Amino acid sequence: MDFDELAKVGSMMGSGGMIVMDEDDCMVDVARYFLTFLTEESCGKCIPCREGIRQMLTILNRICEGEGKEGDIVMLEELSEVVQDASLCALGTTAPNPVLSTIRYFKDEYEAHIRESRCPAGVCKALVSYYINPEQCQACQICLRECPVGAIMGGKNIVHVIDQDKCTKCGTCLDVCPIRFAAVEKLSGRPVPAAPPQGTKVRRVKKAQQ
Amino acid sequence: MEAITITLNGVEVSGHPGMTILELARESGVDIPTLCYDPHLIPIGACRICLVEDERSGRLSASCVTPIEPGMVINTKSPKVMERRKMILKLILASHPDTCLVCDKGNRCELRKIASDMEVGLIELVKIPQLATIEEVNPFIERDLSKCILCAKCIRADHELVVQGAIEYINRGFTSKPATLNDEPLEKSECTFCGTCVAICPTGALMETKRPYSGTTAAIVSTICPFCGCGCNIDLEVKDNQIVRARPGKGSTVNRGTLCVKGSYGFDFTRSAERLTSPLVKVNGDFQVVSWEEALGLVASEFKRIKENYGSGSLALLSSSKCTNEENYLLQRFARSILGTNNIDNGSRLYSAANIIGLGSPVGFPGTTNHLDALEQSDVILVTEVNLTSAAPIVEYAVKRAVKYKGAKLLLIDPLQTGLSSFAHLWLRPKIGTDIAFINGMARVIVTEGLLDEEFVTRKTDNFEALSSELERYTPEYVEQVTGVPSDDMRHAAQLFAGATTASIVYGAGITQHVTGTNCVMALANLAMLTGNIGRRGGIYALQRDCNGQGACDMGTIPNLLPGYQSVEDTESIKKFADCWGTSLSADVGLTAVEMIEHAKDGKVMSMYIMGENPVLSFPNSTLVKEVLESLDFLVVQDMFLTETAKLANVVLPAASFAEKEGTFTNFEGRVQRVRKVVEPLGDSLPDSEIVLRLANSMGCPMPYSSLQQVMDEIRDLVPLYQGIGYGSTETKGERRDELDRDPFRNRRLYKGQFPSGFGRFSPVQYEPPVEIPGDEYNFTLLVGSILHHSGTGSKTSRSPRLSEFSPEAYVEIGPSDAEQIGIGQGDEVKVISPLGEVTTVVRFTTTLPDGVIVMPNSFSSTPVNQLFDIVLDPLSKTPALKACAVKLERI
Ligand code: SF4
Ligand code: SF4
Ligand code: SF4
Ligand code: FES
Repeated sequence: MDFDELAKVGSMMGSGGMIVMDEDDCMVDVARYFLTFLTEESCGKCIPCREGIRQMLTILNRICEGEGKEGDIVMLEELSEVVQDASLCALGTTAPNPVLSTIRYFKDEYEAHIRESRCPAGVCKALVSYYINPEQCQACQICLRECPVGAIMGGKNIVHVIDQDKCTKCGTCLDVCPIRFAAVEKLSGRPVPAAPPQGTKVRRVKKAQQ
Repeated sequence: MEAITITLNGVEVSGHPGMTILELARESGVDIPTLCYDPHLIPIGACRICLVEDERSGRLSASCVTPIEPGMVINTKSPKVMERRKMILKLILASHPDTCLVCDKGNRCELRKIASDMEVGLIELVKIPQLATIEEVNPFIERDLSKCILCAKCIRADHELVVQGAIEYINRGFTSKPATLNDEPLEKSECTFCGTCVAICPTGALMETKRPYSGTTAAIVSTICPFCGCGCNIDLEVKDNQIVRARPGKGSTVNRGTLCVKGSYGFDFTRSAERLTSPLVKVNGDFQVVSWEEALGLVASEFKRIKENYGSGSLALLSSSKCTNEENYLLQRFARSILGTNNIDNGSRLYSAANIIGLGSPVGFPGTTNHLDALEQSDVILVTEVNLTSAAPIVEYAVKRAVKYKGAKLLLIDPLQTGLSSFAHLWLRPKIGTDIAFINGMARVIVTEGLLDEEFVTRKTDNFEALSSELERYTPEYVEQVTGVPSDDMRHAAQLFAGATTASIVYGAGITQHVTGTNCVMALANLAMLTGNIGRRGGIYALQRDCNGQGACDMGTIPNLLPGYQSVEDTESIKKFADCWGTSLSADVGLTAVEMIEHAKDGKVMSMYIMGENPVLSFPNSTLVKEVLESLDFLVVQDMFLTETAKLANVVLPAASFAEKEGTFTNFEGRVQRVRKVVEPLGDSLPDSEIVLRLANSMGCPMPYSSLQQVMDEIRDLVPLYQGIGYGSTETKGERRDELDRDPFRNRRLYKGQFPSGFGRFSPVQYEPPVEIPGDEYNFTLLVGSILHHSGTGSKTSRSPRLSEFSPEAYVEIGPSDAEQIGIGQGDEVKVISPLGEVTTVVRFTTTLPDGVIVMPNSFSSTPVNQLFDIVLDPLSKTPALKACAVKLERI
C-alpha cells in the first residue's frame, strides 16, 4: 500500500499514515483524537484551519458526549470541505481527513452515537454505563474495594449496586470482577435496569449445581 | 513587460505581471470581499474570505495573494466560492461576541458589513467565545481582543507602515493574539499611540478609549492635519456638527494610511470650552463682549489713526504659519496695499526662516527639493539634528521603512539619542553647535578624495573653486578637534554619503534655530550639490514645524518678499502686484518677527496685528516680549483662544479652527492640499480670511473677492510656483478628488531636474564657535525641542483633552551622573536658571544624554522655557536662537 492508494480509499489520517484498528476502537473518538492533536499543531494564522478545526472538534466532542444532533454529520462534512478548500497550508487542507474518512466508512457508528446514544465500541464514556447484574453478583466485595470513587454499595452477602451518579465510568469494576462471576456489564444505547431493593441477599450458586 | 490576460467572470481583462487577482479585479470594478487585505500592507492571505475559483481546475485560491497567470478563468462568485465564503464568515462569527448592537465600530465594522452583504445572519455553529480583558488606562486606544479576528493588520501596520514594533503575535494556534512585549498594557510598551492600527482594524477589537463625541458618523470630510508640516491627509467623521473621530485620509501618498498621535487624537481642541466665541474689547483692563461691527470698527479707526499720526512703518503684522495660504495671502495684501507697510512676517521665522536664504541662494528655491517618496527610495539618508519622532512623524516612518525594508543606510548626526538611533548605520554625535565644521569636513573629504559628482558639478553648478579653497581648513584632524567625532568616522560618513547612488538630507529646527542656522543650511546644500543629489535624485528635505509654514512663506508674509519670493526691492515685481491691486506699494524692506518687538521697544512700532501666533510664549525673552506688547499703543490679536498674547490685546478677534474653514495648506514638500470645512465655526467665530476681508471693508478699502476661489485664482496668476493650481474638483464614486491631488508639484522645477535659476551656486560657509557654551556658573547646555504629544506653544494641544491628559506637564531630562553631581534625584523639583530668567520643573532621568547637556520640551505654557533665552538673531535669517542656551540647575 502506498500513499496514493491510501488516499484513494480515503483512509488518509494526517499526511500519509495508516492506522490499523479493531472493533474496540470507536471511530468518532478516533476522529476526535486526531483533531485534538491538530488543534495543537495549527499555527492559527488562517481562519478556516483555526476556526474550522475548532468547530469540528466541538461537534465531535458533543457527539462523543452523547449530545450529538441530527445534522451534525452534514455540518462536519461542510466544515471539512471549507477547511480542505480554503486553508492556507497542507496542515489545514488535510486536517479534515480523519473526519471525512471515518464518516465515509463508519457512518453507522456516528449515527449510533447521535440517534441511539450508543457507542458501538463502548469507548465514549458518556454513552456507556456499568451495571452489576444482581443475578450474578456473589458479593465478593472486590469491586467495592477497588472502585476509586467509592461508587459501589453493598456488603457481605448483599448484592452490590453501582451508584450511577457517583460512577466515573473508569471500568475498574468490570476489570476486577472475577471471570467466573462475570457480574459487571457494560451497557451502551440502553438504559440501566433499576437496582434491586436495598439489602437484597445474593443468590448463592451451589457448587454442587455447577 | 508583457501584459497578462485572464478571464474574469466571463470577461477578458489584462494586468501586468506580478499583479494579484484581487488587484486586477478591483481595477476592473469587480468587488471581492476582504478582511486581512489592505493596499498599504504586504498581503498574507490569512482570512481566506477573498477566495475565488479557477474554473479550469475548480481550485479555490485566496485572490489577495495569488498572482495572475495567463489563461486563468476566474469566477469570483461561483456557487462553491459563495458557499465557502459564507462558511468562513460563519466560522469567524462563531467566535465573535454578539455585541454588535452596542459596539461603537457600528456600521464601520467590516466584518458586519461583509456578513450583511452575504446575508449571513443567525449561525448554526457552536459559539466559541474568545476571552479577553480590557486593561488599558491610556486615553487613546482600547483593545477588546474578544472581537479580534486575527487578521494581523494591526501588527503589520505597526511593523510595515510606522515601523514601531510595539505589537506582535504572542502564543500560537488558538490562543494567539496581537500583544505588546510581555503582554503589558499599551502605555507601558513602545507604542506611540499613532492610531494607525486602530484605523486599520476591521472590527471593534481596537477602538478609541475616549471620544469627544459619540454617535454614528453621518458624513466624512477629507482635510489636512492642523499640526506639523508633514501635511497628513485626515478624514474627519462628523455627526451633529461635531467631529467624532479622525482617520488617515484614504489614498494619500503623503501619509499612506498612517497618522501620528496628534493627527489621530488631537483635533478635539476645536470644541474646547476655552474657544473664543465672540469679539472682545478691553475696557479699563477688562474684556467686554462686543459685536463684530463694533470690534472691527474700533480696529479700523485705530489703525487709521496710527497710520496717519505715525506713518505706515509704525504698524506691524504677524501672520500665521498655521493659517491657510489664502489667509496669509489676504493678510499680506491687507498689510501692503491697505496699511501700506512691508512689516509683515509669519511664525515660521522662529524656526525655518534659515531656508529662505540658506536654500534660496544656493538652490534657488527656499524649501524641500524632492517629494517624500523619493526620500524613501534613497540609498543613504543623512538625518541631521532633528528628532523626527516628534518633529515629523511621517518622515520618521518613511526613513524607518527605507532602512528596514529597502536597504537604505541611515547616517544620523545628532548629539542626542532619538527614535532613529537604533536604525542608524552610523550615528555620530558632534558637540552641540559644531555642525558646520562637521559638514564642511565631510565636504572636504569628498573633494580631496575625488568622490564628487564631477559631471554634475561642472554642468549644473558654479562657484566650486571658491568652495574648495574655503574647505581647506576643515582637515579631518581639525574637524575631530572641533566636533569631538573621530576623524575616521567622519571620513566614513563622507564616503558613505558620496558613494550612494541616491542620497538625501533631512534637517529641521535643530539646524535652523541656531544663530548659524542659515550657514549650516548652506553647508548642507553644498554637500548635496557636490554629490549631485539635488534636482534629479535624492534631495534636501527641510522640515516645517507648522502645518502651513511653507505656504505662509510662499504667500509672502515675509517683510522683504512678495508672494512667490519676489523681492519688494525689485521694481518689476512691485509693479506687478501694484497693478493688480490698483495701488502703490512700498519698496522698503519691512521688519521680521523679532525685530518688530525690538522696534516696538524703541517706540518705532506703535501697533501690532497678530493672527494666530503666540509670541509671548514662542519668542525669546518672554518677559520683554510681554512688556513690549503691553506697552503698544494698540494691539489686535486674532486667535481661537485667549492665549498669553491675546490677554494683552486691546481687541481680540475670535478665529475659526482648521475644521471650520476652506482653503489650502502647503506641506513641507511643497504639496498644496485642500483644507475643507467640516463643521460650522463655533459661536460667532469666523475664518481668518473672512475677518481680514471684513476688516478691509471697515477700513473703507474692500478687497475684491467674493470667494476664496477668487483669492486662489489671483495667487495662481501672480505666483509662478502656484500656477495652474485651482480648487476645481471632480466627484467620482462619491469621492472628491481635487485637481490639486493629481499633480500637486507641477511647478516645482527642482523635481524635474532643473535648478530654478539654471545653476546651483556653491556658497562657502565658515564654522564659528557657538556662543551658548556653558561656563563656570551656567554649567549646563540646555537644549529645547518639541515633543510628540504637543505642537508649537501648545495652545491647541494643551486644549486637546486626550493629549494633555497623557502629557500634562513639562520636565527636564538629565543624565543620572550629572544629576548626582548636583545632588538631585528623579522626580525632584528644580529651577532651571539662565542669566535671563528661570523656570521650575521636575527632573526626569535619561541615560543617553551627553555629559553636561539637559533637555526640555517647549510646548507648555506653565513652563515657558523661552523666557530663559535672550534675543540673539541669526544675522542672515533673523531667526532667534532658541535651541540651546547655558543654564544652571537649582534644587527647590
Ligand atoms: S486587533 Fe484588529 S487588526 Fe489586529 S488582528 Fe485583531 S482584528 Fe486584526
Ligand atoms: S498605535 Fe501605532 S505604535 Fe501603537 S501599536 Fe498601533 S500602530 Fe503601533
Ligand atoms: S502632526 Fe504631522 S505627522 Fe502627525 S498626523 Fe499631523 S501632519 Fe501627520
Ligand atoms: S483578504 Fe485575502 S486572505 Fe484575507
